[in-house]
Amino acid sequence: MAFLELSHIQKSFAGAVAVEDFNLSVAQGEFISFLGPSGCGKTTTLRMIAGFELPTSGQIMLSDNDLTYLPPNKRNVGMVFQSYALFPNMTVAENIGYGLKVAGKLKAEINQRVQEMLALIHLEEFGARYPARLSGGQQQRVALARALAFHPQVLLLDEPLSALDAKIRVELRHEIRRIQQQLGITTIYVTHDQEEALSLSDRIVVMSQGKIEQVGTPSEIYNFPSTEFVAKFVGQINLLPVQVIDAKKGVVRLGGQTMRAGQFGHLNGNSIRLAVRPEELNPGFVEGANNLTGKVEAITYLGSIIRISVDVEGYPIHLDVFNERKLKIPATGESYQLTFPIEACWLL
Amino acid sequence: MKGKRLNLWGWFWAIAAMLYFFIPMYGTLDFSLRMKKGVISLLAYETVLADPQFLASFRYSAIMGLITVTISVLIFVPTIYWIYLRLPKARPIVEIITILPFIIPVIVYVFGLIRTFSGPPFQLTLTPFKTDILITAGYIVLSMPYMFRAIDVGMRAIDVRTLTEAAQSLGSNSFQILFDVIFPNLRIAILSGALICFATVIGELILGDFLVRPALGPYMVLVGRSRAYEPAALAIISYTLTWICLGLIQFFSRGGSTQQQLTGR
Amino acid sequence: MGFSCWTGYPTFAIRIHKEINPTEVHGSDYSRAMPSHLNMKSSSRQRRSSSAILDWIGLVPFFAFVLAFLILPSLNLFSGAFKDARGNFTLANINFLTDQYVLKAYAVSLEVSVITSLFGGVFGFLVAYAITIGNTPRWMRSILMTFSGLAANFGGVPLAFAFIATLGRTGFITAILKSICYAGASGTQVCPFNPYDHGFNLYSMYGLVLAYMYFQFPLMVLTITPALEGLKKDWREASENLGATSFQYWRDVAFPILWPSILGATMLLFGSAFGAFATAQALTGGSIYLVTILIGQQIRGDVLGNPNEGYALALGMVVVMAITITAYTILQRQTARWLKV
Repeated sequence: MAFLELSHIQKSFAGAVAVEDFNLSVAQGEFISFLGPSGCGKTTTLRMIAGFELPTSGQIMLSDNDLTYLPPNKRNVGMVFQSYALFPNMTVAENIGYGLKVAGKLKAEINQRVQEMLALIHLEEFGARYPARLSGGQQQRVALARALAFHPQVLLLDEPLSALDAKIRVELRHEIRRIQQQLGITTIYVTHDQEEALSLSDRIVVMSQGKIEQVGTPSEIYNFPSTEFVAKFVGQINLLPVQVIDAKKGVVRLGGQTMRAGQFGHLNGNSIRLAVRPEELNPGFVEGANNLTGKVEAITYLGSIIRISVDVEGYPIHLDVFNERKLKIPATGESYQLTFPIEACWLL
Repeated sequence: MKGKRLNLWGWFWAIAAMLYFFIPMYGTLDFSLRMKKGVISLLAYETVLADPQFLASFRYSAIMGLITVTISVLIFVPTIYWIYLRLPKARPIVEIITILPFIIPVIVYVFGLIRTFSGPPFQLTLTPFKTDILITAGYIVLSMPYMFRAIDVGMRAIDVRTLTEAAQSLGSNSFQILFDVIFPNLRIAILSGALICFATVIGELILGDFLVRPALGPYMVLVGRSRAYEPAALAIISYTLTWICLGLIQFFSRGGSTQQQLTGR
Repeated sequence: MGFSCWTGYPTFAIRIHKEINPTEVHGSDYSRAMPSHLNMKSSSRQRRSSSAILDWIGLVPFFAFVLAFLILPSLNLFSGAFKDARGNFTLANINFLTDQYVLKAYAVSLEVSVITSLFGGVFGFLVAYAITIGNTPRWMRSILMTFSGLAANFGGVPLAFAFIATLGRTGFITAILKSICYAGASGTQVCPFNPYDHGFNLYSMYGLVLAYMYFQFPLMVLTITPALEGLKKDWREASENLGATSFQYWRDVAFPILWPSILGATMLLFGSAFGAFATAQALTGGSIYLVTILIGQQIRGDVLGNPNEGYALALGMVVVMAITITAYTILQRQTARWLKV
């Protein structure tokens, strides 16, 4: 029995289905991300765990307690809101201690716990300040401390970093992961930012239009996407429409050029695509690997990466190379050779 | 989650409020229809509308209302425009001035007005015409907070400064800007202010009463002293007029700021 | 480039410019190189100093009007309160405020204002709660907001007439209540619900209170609804998430945030009732002793020989109102700060 179990969760709003047949088993101490575009149902599912929405059908179990229809103030889960939702009339310390206060704990105990939390988020001197005087990043940390102070069994985070600058976002997400690992608390993290999901999670749940597309570790999601949506949503991908030459060996053809795929399922149907990530492509020719020739269309400078867009048999392929000084950048219109290992691509 | 539960207390208070609004209105309406014994009739309304004094005082108040609106607009729109464009630091002073009529109760203001202008050196109470000037000025002052706020909100919404600069860069002079660009874009705001102003003048009692001018307010008090059913009819007529004014404001300013706060006595 | 370049008075502008700042015209190298009639395009430093006067000229019509018809009467009132009948400085008028009739008037005015602002405040708050957080349908909210806007503006004579028609001796509700009869012990009809039999009188202070409530609670609804809407849903959810009950949420979060706004709005209601005249006059004919009624009598010359005592009354009222409005403004700002977080 998993620590947190969601079984066949379904949620409909006035005829439209927001979440469909959601099943997930979370082990204790795991960090799970719900990843997906806006409107995919990830926040709705999170709110069902928190109790702010009721599922139309299905069950939520938390270590043998049926949580499904319990009111939100009896669930013992801590939530960090996207807008932080700090109480403006209370100081940082009062905010953090609020969960314990309403539980009727003694003042001494509350104070001690608040101090612990302030130390955890490195804001020891800020106890007497009001939220309005804090920066966005500081407010977020206080929100986190508040959600953790009353010893919840699960921590829920609803896109907590989306309102912050890019640099602070990176800093804070490491903080969140560090604290989570230190406390060993089961965590569910909702985000649309794949970098966040990939760098923080033990496992990722990729969602689209209310349904789970794939559940797996970051490396599984990235390297072995099971559906086209996941392949496209997570990272960049090249998808080439190919014709099957040998279904058993996975040999395919694009125009006049042949390739072999490293993985393939049952190859039927008309639209077979060859998928390969831009970073797997390299300039040049390697014996025994897949090799293609085309014409350079555009060079895009992305900082540490240079993206070379090559037209192969009428279809665009992007390859990403590191911006090393020794690199020879081709000119637009030049003929170009690119290569990638057979294991690096697969057929969808 | 809260949205799903039926909130009984919410409904209770909302219904209580509706009752408090409607019962007096309904009672007044009912009362006004019973002038002819035992029969529902419009006799009270007919009597009122046929009364030459009613028509005279209504006409008077309506005309004064229009004059007040016109002069108000002519004073306030350029003033606010000027403040936005050239003298933003005058804003606080002007705002405080326009709040003053809120702070000073109408009766107190009328007291001061009469005392100031009923003797030398500024005697304005000798002739009816001069008193009309005084009463118009009083009306303008009384409706100043609303008019000012309405136009102010309108100006802010259309970003006057940018529009002016755009017009200037296309070669307009200031008259053209004012009449081709500013006024047309302020139509709705001016209309809102004008309607509130008009409603205020029509419903105003104190100035008309103490300055002894034939306005609608004093007429209604007179009727109230001697008649039973006509006052109810007058109340309904007055209410309907206010409703029409406010309804027009809502209608024209749909999509704009709907939080036009109205107070009065 | 300021507005001044494009005003309709370029020659006027240059003339003023040169007259006011003769030294500055020659002060900068730039202006020396240019012909003087083009000086209006010279350094902005010059424009800033001279155009200051020009800027204020545009506001002259407004200030002139306000000076004549608002400031002057107000100052007159203020100074008149300290003058006696012959124009000499005196504090006797202020003493007048301690006259027993005056104190009684203030007491009655205060009583009416406090009662209507408290009851109107509470009722208005509950209604505002109902239409914002209380999950009533949208249409109910629009109707109530519209009617609040209407009713808050509906006072004076029509309101008095409406209440007379409803609760007067022959009013609509009175008639209904009177007609609720049942057979009594001795076989006669007993109609015990006539309010006038129980001492109720519309033309008393309580009738006035009822009438005032008609515009007081809508005023509260209009004023407090924005504050209630400013209460973020997140705060409620966060407090629930932390384990708080509804009561705890209101006690620890919602009311602390709202109370300045509620208090401020109540003060607004107080001021509104305190300064009201027309309703009282039309309803009671001046028989209820309010400060406003007293001032009205002063204007008419009915009471008390010394007109300057009226000034003192007026001044007293303005002081009360000023305190009220200041308190309201300060309190509103406090809540606005929190609701922006």
